[in-house]
Amino acid sequence: MQNNNLDNNAQNSQKSKQQAAKRNRPKNLNLFTIRMPINALVSILHRVTGCVLFVILPLLLLLLQLSLSSAEHYAMVVNLLHSLFIKLMLLGLAWAFFHHFFAGIRHLAMDVHWMTTLMKARFTSKAVLGLGVLATLMLAIILWS
Amino acid sequence: MVIELLTKRYPGMRAWLMQRLTALVMAIYSVMALGRILLEQPSDYEAWLSFSQPWWWRVASLLFWISLSIHAWLGIRDVFKDYVPNASVRGLLLKLLVVMLWVYLAWATWLFLAYAGSADLVLR
Repeated sequence: MQNNNLDNNAQNSQKSKQQAAKRNRPKNLNLFTIRMPINALVSILHRVTGCVLFVILPLLLLLLQLSLSSAEHYAMVVNLLHSLFIKLMLLGLAWAFFHHFFAGIRHLAMDVHWMTTLMKARFTSKAVLGLGVLATLMLAIILWS
Repeated sequence: MVIELLTKRYPGMRAWLMQRLTALVMAIYSVMALGRILLEQPSDYEAWLSFSQPWWWRVASLLFWISLSIHAWLGIRDVFKDYVPNASVRGLLLKLLVVMLWVYLAWATWLFLAYAGSADLVLR
């Protein structure tokens, strides 16, 4: 019994040491202190754009419902698109979508072991960034023509 | 072996796979939506209605939104896990996230299955 207790105590102190070690583990998630290589940039932008897209979900449903509800409301929604501010907002959100889309496809490609060496991954990162901007530019041309 | 990785013993693998499958569904829908918009170029209310009203498009839209709910849950949950160290705050945020996604899903279901398909939209 006595022995058992001692064992338990020893185990407990071992455990608390482990926990302390866990607490003291260095952790650096502050993005502003990290110089990011291009792959990391694409990755964090994938996350940021995902969050942005999540935030605008209710707006999306609201606009869809409004645009379907009647001809007047449809005209109202279309009219919104004529203001410069809304157009710029839309372009920003469209970029978020396109980047998330292309970066997601890059992830899927890597999951099937395609383009996984460092140099290839760097190349696809550049391609993702470029395609996101390109698609946004094409939308801009459509919006302003 | 792959099948074993997808049983309840490895919930992370399931989450990983779900994130990919839902991404695929949403990607296909997005390309379809873009293609339809470019083909039909709906330019007034009537055209917009006939774009949105086919039953198969509304079912596809609902599938898209279900995928989106799962995808967003897994994604935002990961963000909370990384950036909200306080367990009780994180738990609260996760609950809020789930409630929000269910509300959106209910809204979207009603919108796609009932509202967008109702014939009296044209009459109004």
